[in-house]
Parts: sequence; C-alpha cells; structure tokens
Amino acid sequence: MADPVFELKDVSVRYGGELAVSGVTFDVQARQVTALIGPSGCGKSTLLRCLNRMNDLIPSASVEGSIRYHGHGLYDPDVDPVEVRKRIGMVFQKPNPFPKSIYDNIAFGPRVLGNKQDLDETVERALRRAALWDEVKDRLKTSALSLSGGQQQRLCIARALAIEPDVILMDEPASALDPISTARIEDLMVELKEHYAIVVVTHNMQQAARVSDMTAFFTVEVDDESRRIGKLIEFDETDRIFTRPSDERTEAYVTGRFG
Amino acid sequence: MMRIAMDEELNTLEEALQVEGRLVLEAIRLARRTLADSDRELAEKLIAFDEQVDLLYMQVEHGIETLLARQTPVAGDLRLVLAMLHINLHLERMADYCVTIAKLVSLSSELRSDDDLTAKFDEMAERASDMLEVALKALRERDQEAAESLVEMDGFINRHNRKVVERVMDLGVDPEIREWGLRMVLVSRCLERIGDHVVDVGERTAYLVSGEFREFTDASE
Repeated sequence: MADPVFELKDVSVRYGGELAVSGVTFDVQARQVTALIGPSGCGKSTLLRCLNRMNDLIPSASVEGSIRYHGHGLYDPDVDPVEVRKRIGMVFQKPNPFPKSIYDNIAFGPRVLGNKQDLDETVERALRRAALWDEVKDRLKTSALSLSGGQQQRLCIARALAIEPDVILMDEPASALDPISTARIEDLMVELKEHYAIVVVTHNMQQAARVSDMTAFFTVEVDDESRRIGKLIEFDETDRIFTRPSDERTEAYVTGRFG
Repeated sequence: MMRIAMDEELNTLEEALQVEGRLVLEAIRLARRTLADSDRELAEKLIAFDEQVDLLYMQVEHGIETLLARQTPVAGDLRLVLAMLHINLHLERMADYCVTIAKLVSLSSELRSDDDLTAKFDEMAERASDMLEVALKALRERDQEAAESLVEMDGFINRHNRKVVERVMDLGVDPEIREWGLRMVLVSRCLERIGDHVVDVGERTAYLVSGEFREFTDASE
C-alpha cells in the first residue's frame, strides 16, 4: 500500500475540556473513499473537521494525538491552517453556494489565492470534474441560487475542486438531496476518487456500502460520570464491514439493530 | 431492538426452510421404503409428494427475493439470507433425486433383483436421512462442528456407491438382472448425490456461523 494521505494516531478531541471523541487511529489512502459511519454524537463529524483544521474555528476545541498529512504533522506550529484548507477541500450537508453567479462561485477560491490566469479554463475543468458542466455551460453568469439542490451540491464540489486540493472531505453530502441527485453525487464520488482521497461522513449506511472502499464505524460510549464519548470501534474494508464485521457492535449497527 | 419486520421475515423464512427440510426427510424415507419393497404404488406417492417440496421451495425463494429487495440485509442477516438461498436449492435437488429413484424403481419393479444390493441401498438411504437430520439441526442451532461432521458421515455413502458398481459388474449375464443392475447404478448415484447436497447444506451453515465460505472437501480428490 502506498504512503497514506492521513495517518491518525490516538486522536482525541475535546470541547471545553470535555472529551468528545477519544483514541482514534486509522489511515486514509489516496484514490479511495473512506466512510465514517455511526450514530449521532459518535464524533464522526468532529473527527472529519479535524482533518482540515476546521475545529480551529471553535475556540474551545482542542485536538490531541497525532494527525499526519503526507507525513507532516497537521497541527505542527509552523503549519498555516489556510494552506491546509487549500489542499483539503470540504463539502457540507446543505449546499451552500455564494449568492453569486455560477462562474464566480467557482472562480472565488482561485481569485482569493491570486490564481487569476486561465480562470475560464479552471472553472470549466472544475465543473466538468463535478459532472455539472453540460448542465450549466450556457448560463455561467446566472445566479448559483437558480440551480436545483442537487446541482447546487455539485457546484459546491466543483468549488472545492477549483483550488486543486488532493483531499475532499464530505459531511453528509447527499442527506438533503432526492434519490436521483443522491445517486449522481455517489457516482461522482466514485469518479473523483481516481484523483483525490475522499473522506465522507454519512448517516446512510447503504451509501457507505455503495461508495466507500474503507469504513470506520464509531459509536458513543457513556463513561462512569455519564459523559458521552465517541470511539472508533472498527476500521476495515467496506466489504468486510458489511458481510462479516469483527465487532458485535458494528454488526448491531449495520444490521439496523442499534439501540 | 429494531428491524422487527426484517427479523419476522427472516424467522418465517427459516421456519419454512425447516419445514421444507422435514418434507425432504420424509421423501428420503419414502424412497428408502420404495426401494426396499420395490413398491410401484409407493413410488407414485413419492412422485406426487415432491409437489409439496416444490411449493415450499418457491415460497422460500420468493420470500428471499422480496426480503433482499425491501430490507437490504447486511452482515449476519445477509449471510443468513444467502445461506437460506443455497440450502433451499439443495433441499429441492435432494427431493428431485428421490423422484428419480421412484421412477427407476417403477421401471424395474418387475425385474429380477439382488438382495445384497437392495440391502446396501437401505443402508445408504438410512445414512442420507440421518445426515439430513443432523444438517437441519446444525442449521437451527448454528452448530458449525455438527455441520462439519457431515463429511465423515457422507464417506459411508460414497464407499457404498463404489461397491455398488463393483457388485453390478458381478451380477452375471442374465439380461433381466443386468437391466435391473444398470437402473440400480443410477439409484446409487442418486443416493450419493443426496449425500453431497446434505454436505453442501453443512457448508452453508458453517459459512453462516463463521463468515468464511469454504468447501469441506475438494471435489477433485
């Protein structure tokens, strides 16, 4: 196996001193989709946000343990979080296009970063990769808000791709979409993994089963003082997680018998 | 506990499969008696009896199709569904072999027969029904060890089958007994195949329990 994109070792996250997720260890490989699944409150979204230092924006959040990105400590003091987010793009649950034209949404990142050369080409390439180009090429100047929800989500993926990251983090990217749009996003994930590492948080287990290569199952454990702490229970090939998981808690969750 | 609908459907299917198994057991016992008495009437009964097995076979098959389409089982549930899908087919095949035996008995009931061979078939059929009982119990109890014991039980049938061929060669030149002997080679083959299908049921049970599918014996051996 090639060098991993991310190496997480004993990662814990605290909010205001309270443990939210504890002792997580796994690797994320390039050209793979890694799915994070588990019940609400298991820390999967929290962990996802650690991977591009989004948690820095929450003053009370702190990250312990080691997260290495291409071998470099992601939280080393000399690392610029803005540079991190340039390499590690993110797509959220609800499509969040800027109230600007389709073109300007995609061009926004490159412009901020000062990459103004060949902007047209950059926009087209990003929209093509996000499988949206054919639908919008004749109306690039119209408002992004005129697009359907599914199109808006693909626009947000295109916007993330325009700054040429090598990782895309997705936080329930299809949970607000209808089944057809969901299928398009899932197809897109499979296409995009040729060029990027994708880490996706999803509540939809069948989505994890359909699109991911590796699956991390998290659950919530309640400690002696009734604190709820997220834990990684099992990390394995998706095939295995959905046919013969090793841990009975994984079995209970994926077969829908959790709780 | 959630997924009540799926649990109910899985239970109903597994019960239907056990009922089907009991019917096949009955078919093997009927085949044994048919052979022992060279009884054409019993043979007719056995051929008609197969319809009941087919009906349950279709019912289980359809139930699995619906469950797969609607409930999307995974992990242990998926393994149970796949195991049942295969076991259902193996049971139906066993019943078909019983029908073939009934037809062969009908065709040869007027011919001269050989007591030695008839006694062998009795032992083979008895062993086959013992094996199926073990297999059904192993499935019900998720007992991998019992499932794996079927290979050894089946060895008895395989050895007998080989002896049958030798015995038929020695039956002599009387055309009537030779015709009977040829038909009985096929009967022996049917009993041998029933044994193999019971072993396959055991393999599926072991897969259900362990999550790893492997053939108990190498067919090329």
